[in-house]
Amino acid sequence: MRTALQLAIDLLLSGSAELKDIVSVTLRMTLTSSVAALLLGAPLGVLYASARFPGRKALIVINRTLMGLPPVVCGLICYMLFSGVGPLRHLKLLFTVEGMIVAQVILLTPIVTGSMETYLSGVVGPIRETARGLRLSRGRTFLLTLNESKYQVVSTYLFAFGRAMAEVGAVAMVGGAIAYKTNVMTTAIMMYTNRGDFTLGLALGILLLAISLVVNVLAHLLQRSPA
Amino acid sequence: MIEIAGLKKFYGKRLVLDVPKLTLETDRRYALIGPNGSGKSTLLRILAGVLVPDEGAAAIRGIPAGEVGYLPQKPYAYDLSVLQNVMLSLGGGKEARERALDALERVGLTSLSSARGSRLSGGEQQRMALARLIARPRRLLLLDEPTASVDIRANERIERALTDYVSENGCMLVFSSHEPGQALRLATDVVALSEGRVAETGGAGEVLRAPREASTQVFLQRWRI
Repeated sequence: MRTALQLAIDLLLSGSAELKDIVSVTLRMTLTSSVAALLLGAPLGVLYASARFPGRKALIVINRTLMGLPPVVCGLICYMLFSGVGPLRHLKLLFTVEGMIVAQVILLTPIVTGSMETYLSGVVGPIRETARGLRLSRGRTFLLTLNESKYQVVSTYLFAFGRAMAEVGAVAMVGGAIAYKTNVMTTAIMMYTNRGDFTLGLALGILLLAISLVVNVLAHLLQRSPA
Repeated sequence: MIEIAGLKKFYGKRLVLDVPKLTLETDRRYALIGPNGSGKSTLLRILAGVLVPDEGAAAIRGIPAGEVGYLPQKPYAYDLSVLQNVMLSLGGGKEARERALDALERVGLTSLSSARGSRLSGGEQQRMALARLIARPRRLLLLDEPTASVDIRANERIERALTDYVSENGCMLVFSSHEPGQALRLATDVVALSEGRVAETGGAGEVLRAPREASTQVFLQRWRI
């Protein structure tokens, strides 16, 4: 373990081109997919929690089902869609970072939607009832609702970021783990392990955990509302 | 004036409120009394426009909607400072700030004006919610158990603040209470509810000291007036 830790530090300090590329692709994919999932999923969560329309309950059930979508199934579907015989082959997304981002967004959006919907369902009623009692405008009530959701939005985003960072099944299938192109930290760990290079795999794992630790510390600090 | 006609509200198949006719006069202060589930909150929520009745109507006449204030049983404390919470319905500016501070003074929360509203205790949140409501002049206050989670001292402060506000603004008051003593102190009239129906109405002293209906008698038996 000590050797792996030392190797992880050495790797970081060495400025290895491959490591830089792996971290860069990982961060690009993770940041883009988590932001896209937040932009798509959060408004849906707000809609499901605060609006009443036909089919709403069915959509919530479908969303909850999709929250448990296995990444390899998502990867398989994307692979079939983007492959040479798939209906979306003209997009040329197979074995690209963009294709990996699409797969990640499919996986993360229901999680973001579900998280926002669950949280807001509990607070929207009292927020609105109190605002109505004060005769506040709809716009003002909406802004208050957003203000009340701010910690949830941040923690949901960080959760999505963490999930995207740790994902391996879908990105391996859609990206193909091509060195200097689509290899991310998780797929690189798999690759090194398959090669028998456990120390390097472990070093990357420690690096991944360190990034995850930073993200979680940040989430913890942001979730603590000021006194 | 509030005119209620043929009002019915169901939760699922259960009829929770059935008021064929009831008139509440503008210059009076009404206490809605009755045990849990008697329909007090449902009636107040319908009057406030939070709930829509399934049948009939409750019309507030002669008072513009903007001058009606409603305090839910569990008011929400927004994640803003106490002062910002109270200024919500006032807009901005120096005058709004002074009004908000005056309202906080009335409920005894001046020292907590910069604290986070969501971090206050239940009783303090209740007082903040009342300050939020009385920070501006209104002609009708609908209050759902305004002293539900406060101690005796805060209870006295809230009742005094309410009495002052109502007399200063010539404001109509309709509030629900579990405590007949409070109804006697604050109200001129009482509407006694039982199982979603109006059991009896009348002057506060009359209904609370000598109830005619058995359901009101049973409810009041538990209290010493």
